[in-house]
Amino acid sequence: MKNKVKSLANKKWVSTVFWLAILVIVWEIGASMIAVTKRTPENIMPHLYQIIEAAFSPKPVANGMSATMVVLTSARATLVRALGGFLLGAILGFLLALLMKLSGIVEKLMFPYLMLIQLIPVLGLAPIILAITGDINKSRIVIAAILSFYPVATNTLAGFKSVEKDKYDLMFTYAAPKRKIYIKVLIPSAIPYFFTGLKIAAPMAITASILVDTLQGDGGLGCMLSQSLKHAMSIYVFWLIVFFSAFIGIFSGYLMGWLEALVSPQKRGIKRTKRKKGGN
Amino acid sequence: MAQKLKRKKSLYQRGKENKKVQAALTVLLPVLFGILVIALWQGQSLHKMFHTDTYTLPLPTKIGSIFMDNRDKIWENTVATVSVAFIGLMLGSLLGYAVAILASFFPKMGKGGLSIIGAFASVPVVAMAPVLNNWTKDISNEASVRSMVAKIIVVMLVSAANMSLNAYRGLTELKPYAEDLMATYAAKKRVILVKLRLPNSVPYIFIALKVAVPASIMTTIVSEYFAEYITGVGRQIRENIVLAQYSTAWAYIVTACLLGVISYVILMIVQSILLRKHQ
Repeated sequence: MKNKVKSLANKKWVSTVFWLAILVIVWEIGASMIAVTKRTPENIMPHLYQIIEAAFSPKPVANGMSATMVVLTSARATLVRALGGFLLGAILGFLLALLMKLSGIVEKLMFPYLMLIQLIPVLGLAPIILAITGDINKSRIVIAAILSFYPVATNTLAGFKSVEKDKYDLMFTYAAPKRKIYIKVLIPSAIPYFFTGLKIAAPMAITASILVDTLQGDGGLGCMLSQSLKHAMSIYVFWLIVFFSAFIGIFSGYLMGWLEALVSPQKRGIKRTKRKKGGN
Repeated sequence: MAQKLKRKKSLYQRGKENKKVQAALTVLLPVLFGILVIALWQGQSLHKMFHTDTYTLPLPTKIGSIFMDNRDKIWENTVATVSVAFIGLMLGSLLGYAVAILASFFPKMGKGGLSIIGAFASVPVVAMAPVLNNWTKDISNEASVRSMVAKIIVVMLVSAANMSLNAYRGLTELKPYAEDLMATYAAKKRVILVKLRLPNSVPYIFIALKVAVPASIMTTIVSEYFAEYITGVGRQIRENIVLAQYSTAWAYIVTACLLGVISYVILMIVQSILLRKHQ
């Protein structure tokens, strides 16, 4: 029995669950305290069960839709736009990294700007991009694309640069043409780095999309968020959106991890051997 | 064959092999590109490209003159933004580092805690800022104080998550056998921490800060959008756009970009001074 407990405590997920449970307990203690002291506890910190209850209650909150329906329909709008910008940014980022690897001049030209764009608070530019494009959808895609562009570009470029000299030498002895070197050596070895970039970019694209929603009413998550904060509808919609956006922010990172495992057989192999050894 | 080796190289080839030329190009090319973009902007070619007018995208000279005219007000808002970002970054980094030390003492439990903190790092700021606004309502009767506290906490959480993950790596990914050596000395945990783990984690602190410094400014700007009290560079961008004063908004955008770049340069200078030993 004692051994069993010990081996259970060694598992990583057990400690994750443990901390998660502590978080829930702390939240509930806070919620109970606030429920006693405040007039409108649901504005500050509702009990978790109240939020779950609101998620499943069929009571209409706006336009005859229940709270969950409101969140899901606006989430679809937000996520589709975030995905559009994310894909655009990821593809452009990859292409730029490729171009920078292919040509020294492009690299010299663009590299300082690639560094610079990381230091600029792009989300702060959201209102002005909205003013320039004039269209909320376009501006959302542009901002999500810029935000997901640079982590992908910098990481992929680092991936291209990480290829050891031995591999080039080997390809040279094969008299491989440049195109072959790129397809067989450079691009495959940059893929893990590319995914590292995607993992950073995905939550950022979602944040960008939600933030742009708050700037103009067009039925996205952010728009609903500010409306329910102003008490235009049930405050529980606000809490549902907070938890939902937290969830998709976290989930998007994991999704990229799964995608990576899907496209890179090498990583699956490592995982399998690890599992056989009994580690992790 | 011999003839081929002696053949005069083309200008392009010689340029490619000359280190001085390459070094000059590294500086010259981006500078020229920047000048080209600004020239296109001033010459209104950019406006044609983006189908916009000089009203929404004012000329650089106009932005410059507005910037100079509003110096005092911009400075005031810059101080508000920087103080929030800096205090939040400092508190968050200290907190994150403390969490990392605790986690390195209890690695089994700590790892799970860190994975949760890592998950928190990808919670959108947009979701966090309004919640903290609600939570800090009772802290003070002054709207300026309580919204500043709310902003600081948001920045703190974001930078703490980042710091704890990196510092944990620095505290645990030691040089091979270093830990075994300490074990043969029968060193206490505290001694191992002070003599081995803490020094080893210093470069990792800077890895964390390189992400956290720009992120803290971005987070401050976004949480200003949701704050009760109207102040800060980010909020001014938004307020001025709502009022359709685009030139003023652009002056604040320039300020925000300068803030990002200057803070990063300061970090690099501090790093080069502190890490001299490590190189």
